[in-house]
Amino acid sequence: MDVYHLGPQAFSSRLILGTGKFSSASVMLEAVKASGAELVTVALRRFNREQAGDDLFGPLSAIKGITLMPNTSGASTAAEAVRAARIARELSGSPFIKVEIHPNPQHLMPDPIETYEASRILAKEGFLVMPYIAADPVLAKRLEDVGCASVMPLGSAIGSGQGLGTADMLGIIIRESGIPVIVDAGLRSPSEAAAAMEMGCAAVLVNSAVAAAGNPVEMAAAFAGAVIAGRKAFHAGLMPQSRTAVATSPLTGFLGTNA
Amino acid sequence: MITIKLNGKDQTLPDASVVNDLFLILGAEGKNVAVVVNETIVRPENRSSHRLQDGDQVEILAFAGGG
Repeated sequence: MDVYHLGPQAFSSRLILGTGKFSSASVMLEAVKASGAELVTVALRRFNREQAGDDLFGPLSAIKGITLMPNTSGASTAAEAVRAARIARELSGSPFIKVEIHPNPQHLMPDPIETYEASRILAKEGFLVMPYIAADPVLAKRLEDVGCASVMPLGSAIGSGQGLGTADMLGIIIRESGIPVIVDAGLRSPSEAAAAMEMGCAAVLVNSAVAAAGNPVEMAAAFAGAVIAGRKAFHAGLMPQSRTAVATSPLTGFLGTNA
Repeated sequence: MITIKLNGKDQTLPDASVVNDLFLILGAEGKNVAVVVNETIVRPENRSSHRLQDGDQVEILAFAGGG
């Protein structure tokens, strides 16, 4: 069985799904099922009875094999993220926390200093810390050193659908990392998810690519297939590249020649 | 009567109100929510006994969709 580990917990699905931006809670729940995801992200918000989508804990927990990973979205400092993480753990009963600290709504780039500090504190408190970071190999290594369960570098800006713009840096992070590398943010198409998996990522996290698709449930299944294909390709080993053509058919002994 | 801040808004309550009384006001009965009073988490087993004080800052939170 091809599994990867986050802390002590093994996962066989390498697709992690976000639950934001869906047109309805029922479409989101169907997409989660179609994706085969075992880990899904949720956000912590003030309870509001006018928002029908609030309190996703019950419906998500009812899906077999699902573990919740709350995020700290909304936090702009380490202190706020730590506070949100403690409350989220109370509610989820899950040790997973996606540390997400982006102070600027224009680009939503993660703050490396606050993210590092929050991750360090939360790892010490026993959380399985999954920090959302820029594709920075040095920061990734520092986060591994303080006990994070994974690192989640971005492919491109959150919700932008710009794909794997950081591929070169992701390659370095994957080569250097002793913990699972999960590409989070920016993916638009299943082919990009497959490409990330072919590079050797442990998993990918998508949300907008599914939620904003024409048919989110169908797209969730498409991503599931792509992630499996990409992982198999990584396992199988891609062929070497060559600058010149290398014939696949014999170039000699053709009919009518004298050779 | 006492006045607290409930999810950022002023809320007037009878004296001797407890955390559980807030769920009716918010429509959060039976929901999976976290309760934070003055930065301290109030666990489910203490919500029927935790008396609210004038000026308390109360946050009631739940999981919503997010990536």
